[in-house]
Amino acid sequence: MVLVLVIGDMHIPYRSDSIPPKFRKLLVPGKIQHILCTGNLCLRETHDYLKSISSDVHIVRGDFDLNTSYPEQKVVTVGQFKIGLIHGHQVVPWGDNDAIAAVRRQLDVDVMVSGHTHKLEAYEKDGKFYINPGSVTGAYSPMERNPVPAFILMDIQSSTLVTYVYSLPPDGEMEVKKIEFKKGDREE
Amino acid sequence: MDVDQTRYLDAAKEAVKREAFNMQRCLDKSQLMDGLRHATEMLNELRTSILTPKNYYELYMMVTMELTHLNMYMSGEFIKENKIADLYELVQHAGNILPRLYLLITVGVVYIKSEECSRKDILQDLVEMCRGVQHPLRGLFLRNFLLTSTRDVLPDDDTQTADGGTIDDSINFILLNFCEMNKLWVRMQHQGHTRDKAKREQERLELKLLVGTNLERLSRLEGVTVERYEKQILPAVLKQLVNCKDSIAQEYLMDCIIQVFPDEFHLRTLENTFLDTCCQPQSQVNVRNIIISIIGRLSNFAQADPSNIPEDIKLFDIFSVKVTQIIQSRTEMPPEDILVLQSALIKLALNVYPAETGYVNQVLQNTLNIFQTEEGRAKGCSNELGKLLRVPVDHYQDILTVLELDAYPKLFSFLDLNTRKDLCVYIAEHIIETGTLIYSHDQVDLLLTMIECLVADAPDQPSNQIEDPEDFECEQALVGRLVHQMTSQVPDQQFLILNTCKKHLIAGGDKRIQFTLPSLIFRAIHLCRVYHDLREEDEKWEKKVTKILQYINSLLSALVKAEYWDLSLRLYLQASLVCDAMGISNAETVGYEFMSHAFAIYEEEVSDSKAQLIAISLIVATFERTINFSEENHEPLRSQCFRAGSKLLKKPDQCRAVSLCSHLYWSGKNREGAGEPLRNATKVLECLKKAVRISNQCMEPTVQVQLFVELLNKYIYFLGTGCEEVSESVLSQLVGKIHEDMPGLESGDITKQIVKHFETTLRFIESRHQLTF
Repeated sequence: MVLVLVIGDMHIPYRSDSIPPKFRKLLVPGKIQHILCTGNLCLRETHDYLKSISSDVHIVRGDFDLNTSYPEQKVVTVGQFKIGLIHGHQVVPWGDNDAIAAVRRQLDVDVMVSGHTHKLEAYEKDGKFYINPGSVTGAYSPMERNPVPAFILMDIQSSTLVTYVYSLPPDGEMEVKKIEFKKGDREE
Repeated sequence: MDVDQTRYLDAAKEAVKREAFNMQRCLDKSQLMDGLRHATEMLNELRTSILTPKNYYELYMMVTMELTHLNMYMSGEFIKENKIADLYELVQHAGNILPRLYLLITVGVVYIKSEECSRKDILQDLVEMCRGVQHPLRGLFLRNFLLTSTRDVLPDDDTQTADGGTIDDSINFILLNFCEMNKLWVRMQHQGHTRDKAKREQERLELKLLVGTNLERLSRLEGVTVERYEKQILPAVLKQLVNCKDSIAQEYLMDCIIQVFPDEFHLRTLENTFLDTCCQPQSQVNVRNIIISIIGRLSNFAQADPSNIPEDIKLFDIFSVKVTQIIQSRTEMPPEDILVLQSALIKLALNVYPAETGYVNQVLQNTLNIFQTEEGRAKGCSNELGKLLRVPVDHYQDILTVLELDAYPKLFSFLDLNTRKDLCVYIAEHIIETGTLIYSHDQVDLLLTMIECLVADAPDQPSNQIEDPEDFECEQALVGRLVHQMTSQVPDQQFLILNTCKKHLIAGGDKRIQFTLPSLIFRAIHLCRVYHDLREEDEKWEKKVTKILQYINSLLSALVKAEYWDLSLRLYLQASLVCDAMGISNAETVGYEFMSHAFAIYEEEVSDSKAQLIAISLIVATFERTINFSEENHEPLRSQCFRAGSKLLKKPDQCRAVSLCSHLYWSGKNREGAGEPLRNATKVLECLKKAVRISNQCMEPTVQVQLFVELLNKYIYFLGTGCEEVSESVLSQLVGKIHEDMPGLESGDITKQIVKHFETTLRFIESRHQLTF
């Protein structure tokens, strides 16, 4: 069992003050092997927070990350899965699935992770898997009215990827949805 | 020294054991006189001056244990055939005074129990006669023996028997014993050399229980009513304490009084007797701990059951007045002590009178008065004051109540800069952690004034101070985060809040605004959306939105002036999006302004070529999302994007930027389209053709082919979204070019990626569009 935390768009302090306490309680150090962060932290203290949860942290640059050392995109291999990571503000039009699919083709990955829209998504298309962990703080987005705070936890076991989608709707009760993805031989 | 002590003690204990054994043997044979002789020998060991209190105690315990055998003999065998009165007479002829008195007490108790005498007289006799031993250590233990031996025989009620004695007599007995013991105890302080003072004081502390037991015994008397306590006991004890002028005695025994007597007694005597005595300025008593002890005790008493405190006893007022008096009369009282006392008062107010926030403020005001009027009293108080000021924050879960205490922020000026900053950070973190919302602009104003030293440079900040940039970032990020807690559900109020925040945060200066203003800008952006949502209900909404946009503009100008190019460019773009979302012409004008500003920064200030590509891509991507620019504005912006893209320095960057612009003509929207995308296929193809041309001009074959593959994917994208003008021949041409150039590429990882990308793309085209190349 390899746990991968997919998280991003915190926008602290510009659009939000902190990650919801209910989430922070779950994100304890030592349980998660890898972190894939879609970006827009925006300051070092959030980076430090992620590093305290897991020692293997991958961050790509969001439009409000002024840290130029973060790459624009990244490919990470976990088990049998090649995972692509990009913030998504570079992909025009924003939130367009076909445009994201083009990025997936270019990076040649099984799982494409992107953020920016603050819209929580996890879907399969043409045998490949697309994930958007939304905004973990539910921060303002010009594209999404009232984003729901969310993050995603992937459990990777050989050729199966189980996604746990955590969200905090306004009534305060945390929701968890489970979606399974099997890496197939089906190519586009 | 210790070796000697042990040796001496062991020898003494041996002697005691021996004499005790002999005594017992004689008593077994009813040889009382011989028994008494051995007892006397045994008791002689207690005449030593050599042993330390601890060791003397050990010896004493051993001896007194053996005396119980004597007591048992007298109470049992002896009394059957003899008159105890005679024995009482007899033992008074023992040689040395110490053994004599121990024996007398032993016999006396038996005598009393036999009820053949006046209990009252015997007790009086014994307590007086003990005066004969004036050596402090020996006297203390002797009197302790008296107290413990008479434990069961003190009269405990009012019934006046002929010579039995009443509770009053017992009280007097114990009081006298107590006073004498205290005198002996105090005398120890002055014995010996000054260099041994610390050791002596330590020894005194070891003996404190002996003296305290008297008070404890008093408290155990059932007949001690609150009147007796108030009229007889307390005045006598306090008189002794004050007169002895010994701080060790005063501190310990005051505390003893507090602990052994019930809270009801304390309540009754609080105002007039107890506190008055404490507060006599000439007594060098460290009243601090005593006051805190009594406040704590009564506080617990009140919290256990509020009805415990009678209506007419205004606990807070009593203590408040007294503490102020104490502080004022003792001008040498260090600030820590003052503050610890005030802290105790505040806790009393918070715990016992939670509804009375005025009490807390009163304490703070008093503290303020003391510090303000008496110069130098506040020196060095920073730490303790910092602790005090945290107390209300911790107690009142929401900071809003603390904001009501007008004396609270005034005390901040007595903290040194670091302590002040720490406190402000503490308060800010507390607000965020508890999720407290500050919902009125007045409260926001109060709060930001209170945490001024975080928000702007403080007047007492040393100008050459080098701040750690990471710490500074953290600190200012905290302020930025705090902004999100200052929010009202009422839009008009929210706008007032935003204005108040701006006033304070702008004063923070250039180094701070990069961390703090963006939060304000986003809150303002959000507010525009709120007004837009409520436009049916508020006829003034357009004016209000215009004002907010002006507000945003002013903040952005400040950031530009401070030369935060990347940040302000991005914020201008976000601001233009919200203008676009308003859908009114005023907003469109402002949105156009904002886009122009973004372009201006891009053109004039972004000089790094990598940053330029990133910036122009962001501008294009943002602009693509707008829907309400009229063609009059949309067209120049489109052209501007295209021009900027094609003017980038590096060819690959130009290619990518120009190809991005193609989207503007396809999915971009203007006002006239009324929600429909432009779908200008001609322009789209023009862009892509231009991009291909630029690729052809690239020197690097690998880069060239990579760009071709990317452009191929762009064509496919548009084909996929309905652009039929993307003809098979255009595609085939491009594919052909790639096939041609690919074999010539240098082998390596990048080439592998490009090849793979190409193959994947071809497969995609086949499956999605049924075209094979």
